[in-house]
Amino acid sequence: MAAFPSVEWFNAVRERYNSDETLHTGGGGPCEAKAALCIGDHIYLLEFEGFECAEIRQIDRNDIDHVDFCLDMPLYEWVDMVNNIQQHGEADLHHTLSTMDLELEEGLARAPGDDQYKMDLFYRYNQNFQDFFNASAGVPTTITVMD
Amino acid sequence: MTQTSRVKNLTASVAHIDVPPPKLQWMGHSMQWGTRVTKGEHGLRLGDLNVGIYGEIPQHWEDQSRRPRGAADLPGMPPLPYHLRSKHQVWADSAADLYEEAIQHRWIPATDIPWNALSPLPDDVERAVCQVLTELMQAANAELECITYWQEQMSYGYHEVKQLLAVTALTCARHIDAFRKRCLANGGGLGLESRGRMNRAILESRGGWTEAVVYVYVLRGFYIQNQYRFLLAHAHNAAERVIFAHCLADHARHMTYALDHLKYAINQQDGQRAVIQTLLSIGERTMAREMEEPVQRSALAVVFGGGIEGGRQEGMATWHALVRSAIHEYLDACEWLGVKRNMIHRRLNALLPSDEQLKPPARD
Repeated sequence: MAAFPSVEWFNAVRERYNSDETLHTGGGGPCEAKAALCIGDHIYLLEFEGFECAEIRQIDRNDIDHVDFCLDMPLYEWVDMVNNIQQHGEADLHHTLSTMDLELEEGLARAPGDDQYKMDLFYRYNQNFQDFFNASAGVPTTITVMD
Repeated sequence: MTQTSRVKNLTASVAHIDVPPPKLQWMGHSMQWGTRVTKGEHGLRLGDLNVGIYGEIPQHWEDQSRRPRGAADLPGMPPLPYHLRSKHQVWADSAADLYEEAIQHRWIPATDIPWNALSPLPDDVERAVCQVLTELMQAANAELECITYWQEQMSYGYHEVKQLLAVTALTCARHIDAFRKRCLANGGGLGLESRGRMNRAILESRGGWTEAVVYVYVLRGFYIQNQYRFLLAHAHNAAERVIFAHCLADHARHMTYALDHLKYAINQQDGQRAVIQTLLSIGERTMAREMEEPVQRSALAVVFGGGIEGGRQEGMATWHALVRSAIHEYLDACEWLGVKRNMIHRRLNALLPSDEQLKPPARD
């Protein structure tokens, strides 16, 4: 059982997402984007290449400038989202990336340097990223909540 | 006489004619022969073909024929009305990649939407959903007509853009299709025709494609994009969720081309930045009036509030949040493009909600 958040957990999700095409609902098209997931004190790079999630690894805050966009929200929101997906098999309407981006005070997605072109990638590939997180429903998960 | 016997008779009657050997001179005509592009990790993509002379994209394309870029020209071809023959008038570096993305991220409203997930909604909500979609249908139709009007005037020298816009027009048609199906599949029907202030401004814009892009995407694009985002967040069922998720991704792709093109045009053409600034100054008033339109505003509020009652406060607060998001994104885009908007039109500015207007209603 993998612990969220951790590289092991993301790799388990990645393996499930890459190996099951039925999880790819976003039109089945390729996705070329690098996103930084800011989760508590840790930052994970999530890289999509073509039809699959190519890489997950931890990065430093200095590396954020090199990604297309960041998904940044408080740790308890991440935990809430993962729990919601575990319970429902996919994010309900209040826990999708799109809805959280609208409802969180500071939003969820932002592009380094407020680059509009990169920011559009969040909307263009929103479903690919949502499908990825929804794939976590099939990954046995423990939550490691850090104070 | 049967068809077979007619052919036999004809063959017999021409058997004596001496047919000269074909000259096949056309075989010697190629600007560059021996090209062998190989597919990469993601297949053989449009952009991969830009090798050798085939990748030479001129700043100005004099040819007014349908000659594909890189093909040998045939002398004496009469000109056709391709008025957009300069790169800065149409180009975006991302066009080829966006084309590939567009044709691969395809969806079919008839079969990819879980229509069985539709279930009866309260009458006021169903009417509001149908009203919102009726207006979005018109907006998509205006976008489609605008694209096709200009696309046919673009020279073949910039085929990446022509192909992208052809698919973009198809995507607009797909949106219209999906919205109409949603309206007619759940006990409702189409609503009231939009007053269409921006539709008219878009369709009557005749200054050039770049100017049209300013109207379709910069001025109104963020309002449309935010409607998709908020409607996705307030979807009533899986069918609506799939529709708006696809529309959001599609529209974001259109916005990417638009912003990329405008950035290119500004960088390549003296005075373009000032022209865009003037267009925005003129267009903001029309856009503000479109946003003020009570029909779409109240319909959206009813959807967001879950009915007429909820629409009065919670729904309107959400509508205000939508408008704020759209205007802020519009201003961010202008800043990114380097187009100053220090003084946006007072009517647009007046639509920026106060903190009070954004407050959700107090619950008992």
